[in-house]
Amino acid sequence: MMARTFSVALLLTLAAASQSSAQARLDRTRIPTPGKSPALHVPAWTHSKLANGAELIVVEKHDLPLVALTIEFVGGTSSYEPADKTGVAAFTASMMSEGTKTRSADQLSDAQQMLGISIGAGVGQETGTIGFTALKDKLQPSLALLADMMLNSTFPDSALERLRSRAVVSLTQQRDQPNTIANNVFSMVVYGDDHPYGRVLTERSAKAVTRADVVAFASMYFRPGRAVITVTGDVNPRTVRGIVEKELAAWPAGGERPTFSYPAPPAPKSRMIYLVDKPKAAQSVFAFGGVGPPRNTPDYYALEVMNNILGVLFMSRLNADLREAKGYSYGVRSGFAFGRGPGAFRAGGGMVSAKSDSALIAFMKELKGVQGDIPFTDDEMKQGKESLMQSLPGRFASVNGLAASVSSLYAQDLGENYFRDYAKNIDAITRDDLVRVAKKYIDLDHINLVIVGDRASIEGPLKATGIAPVQIVDVEGRPVLVP
Amino acid sequence: MRHTRSLCLVASLAAAPLAAQNTVNIPFERMTLANGLEVILSPDHTVPQVAVNLWYHVGSKNEVKGRTGFAHMFEHVMFTGSGHVPYGMHDRLTQGVGGSNNGSTTNDRTNYYEIIPTNYLESALWLEADRMGFLLDSLDEAKFKAQRDIVQNERRQGVDNQPYGRVGEILDAAIYPESNPYSWPVVGYLPDLQSATVNDVKDFFRIYYAPSNATMAIVGDFDVAQTKAWIHRYFDDIKRGTSITRPKVAAPVLTAEKRYTYEDRVQVPRLYLQYPGVGSDNDDTYALRYLAQVVAGSRTARLTKALVYDTPLAASVGAFVNTNENSGEFSINVTPRPGHSLSEIEAATDDILARIKREGPTEEELAKTRAGLEFIYVSRLQANNGRANILNDGLVFHGDAARFKKDYAKLKAVTAADVKRVANKYLTAGRVVLSVVPMGKADQASKAAASSIVTVAPDGAHYILGTK
Repeated sequence: MMARTFSVALLLTLAAASQSSAQARLDRTRIPTPGKSPALHVPAWTHSKLANGAELIVVEKHDLPLVALTIEFVGGTSSYEPADKTGVAAFTASMMSEGTKTRSADQLSDAQQMLGISIGAGVGQETGTIGFTALKDKLQPSLALLADMMLNSTFPDSALERLRSRAVVSLTQQRDQPNTIANNVFSMVVYGDDHPYGRVLTERSAKAVTRADVVAFASMYFRPGRAVITVTGDVNPRTVRGIVEKELAAWPAGGERPTFSYPAPPAPKSRMIYLVDKPKAAQSVFAFGGVGPPRNTPDYYALEVMNNILGVLFMSRLNADLREAKGYSYGVRSGFAFGRGPGAFRAGGGMVSAKSDSALIAFMKELKGVQGDIPFTDDEMKQGKESLMQSLPGRFASVNGLAASVSSLYAQDLGENYFRDYAKNIDAITRDDLVRVAKKYIDLDHINLVIVGDRASIEGPLKATGIAPVQIVDVEGRPVLVP
Repeated sequence: MRHTRSLCLVASLAAAPLAAQNTVNIPFERMTLANGLEVILSPDHTVPQVAVNLWYHVGSKNEVKGRTGFAHMFEHVMFTGSGHVPYGMHDRLTQGVGGSNNGSTTNDRTNYYEIIPTNYLESALWLEADRMGFLLDSLDEAKFKAQRDIVQNERRQGVDNQPYGRVGEILDAAIYPESNPYSWPVVGYLPDLQSATVNDVKDFFRIYYAPSNATMAIVGDFDVAQTKAWIHRYFDDIKRGTSITRPKVAAPVLTAEKRYTYEDRVQVPRLYLQYPGVGSDNDDTYALRYLAQVVAGSRTARLTKALVYDTPLAASVGAFVNTNENSGEFSINVTPRPGHSLSEIEAATDDILARIKREGPTEEELAKTRAGLEFIYVSRLQANNGRANILNDGLVFHGDAARFKKDYAKLKAVTAADVKRVANKYLTAGRVVLSVVPMGKADQASKAAASSIVTVAPDGAHYILGTK
């Protein structure tokens, strides 16, 4: 003890005099002590409403001459897309590049290229966006172009036919993609096609969409009453407001936020392996899980920490065991979808075919583990929380990240203090909370085990694990009659 | 100082928007340790995070035939702990405290980075120094074997289990002679991976993982004086390496077209054209980047407009420039729409390429491309780790960390005549044409009779290209 104290004191003295002497005494087994945690700096923003009802947020960020503008629409396919017209929202978003009353599709493309921008539009399950990132001096002409696309698109029939044909090719290609197959079958098995969360684009639905459907969707959907406009970057709020008011002057008031009322998901079925045959596949793709809670669950923070330890961190339980210790996989993850409705809990990854059975056993053990079988250690708790709390500033590093982060507060009703209070809410979670939410939201008796892989070599071993019966299904999740 | 990074827009935009004299800057200072380690320090206090990013000048190019994939496998071993760092500590002190870490391997270099909250900078330096100096002290056979399995899974997931996943490998094997190290994939072939041993790891480490073969860029929120002291503390006593013999890699020359067909587990066929290009030491790379944009970078690009829109034969078209240290490739791929054959696609593509060679791009095409490339350049400067890679790239491949300034200026200076010249110089008859078709549908290949079938060797150790 004495010797150690002495050497440290000596080292400090010498460090000032001679770097190289200190070097010889460097104890490399000593982990450097971290400095004080940096204070969380949540960027400030302005929030106002335009006359037409759209919300406007401006966040200043002056390190580079860049600006990002996004218009986020609250509500998406699950509220606005008819069940028999899956794909109409995606077609509409694509067709906004197909020409306006005054610009042909080529002219729209050329105008964007001249500005160095690409205006992207997309509609997801619960929100949609249209926006761009540009050099700051291009903000106004870029927004003028966006407004033209949003308000004056002509949606030509010929473009719909071309996009439809391309969608059919891409659907055909996806049938080769084991991850896409796993996604689709998982949605179908967990939610079924009567639930908006279970719907996927098919050739059938792509073929049912007409130009009239697209026109109707566009005029109903892109309305200021459900819009959050966010501008981030090397700008000032007053100038931005002037530009936005001028360029969106022709956007009439209207539209409202949806209620997000969902039908109840199908009743849970008993535990089952749904096997999709992919002959000679090098890997078996696992997609395991079931219905989870909505984003507004009071258990959100506990689930974030629990799931971080289970399957998000590189040294999460799943990845540390199945990838690092056992070498079955290149990566294993788990996550909660956290929608406005009951989004899925899902865990999975690609497993080497020959170890499909062992991987299944290991998977089930870890899922059972977080429910109390394998207690959470102090270090898991510390790391599970700190990694979430301290990674927050990374979301504010780029103009796009910043725009998405701040916009989400308003588009998802997270509250203006969400970032400020985030660390406090995470830190309050206890070990008991983790076990409680793991038991409550991961239903192992009814877990759906979707596996896409080489049936000939893996079906027998999977059955032999005794974990669940095997049901053979096709790429759309329909049972296949087994001879 | 808030404006630590600056991009001065010194431009008269109304008068001459296309000739805007934009300049980019990433302020940095350099330090070289006695053992040869090159350090680049670039402070920026925008967010309280810092990136530590090391490049070792070694990649799959330094491997030999029969032992492919080793450089990348070695990258994995670097995450399994070192002399004073137990397994798992690396993630604990990066991701576990709100940061992240990763590595990547290319043909020419291997990089490692940590992005950490600013108060964990010292521990990141400790981690990197320990694996640079003491990796072999704790090398564990079982951990090595697990990583060897993981890398094989990485290959299965990213290559073997993906539709069209083997295409890049086949094209490289076809365009480069077998003896050229750019002819094999960075991830390596499965049997080569399986045969790697712990002794290989030791030899590789001793040759290539010395401070004299490394550069380290530190970018973000940190104090320069304190950081320099830490660097001395942790890196000074790591020994310089011996001199390294770098393989001489010549750019490929194809005197005639080589045609192949590969049957894959796909439903839709696809046509690939690959031409020998240039390495990063050849300034033609800039004009080739314009060429890729002009032929397939936008809706109004030549191939895209003609094949996807005007006479819709194709569902999609892509054109790419790959620039490695000593050589590169220019490639085009076209996915047909149902009812159109690859032969039809190839003929139509060739007509349009002939036209761009004859006419060159218009001034408008050039201006559009320049605006897009300029925006991409600036937006890449947003991330600390992105800037660290830019600085390291300049230093490792050009001996000049400030290379990005020249790079940006050269990219913007490309003229229509340059693009026309490179189109004629590189889009020649000496190319590889690969038709990927569904299993058992070799007759769907473009000019099937003139194309030889590519197969995977029974042991998976290479592709059998055959000749016609």
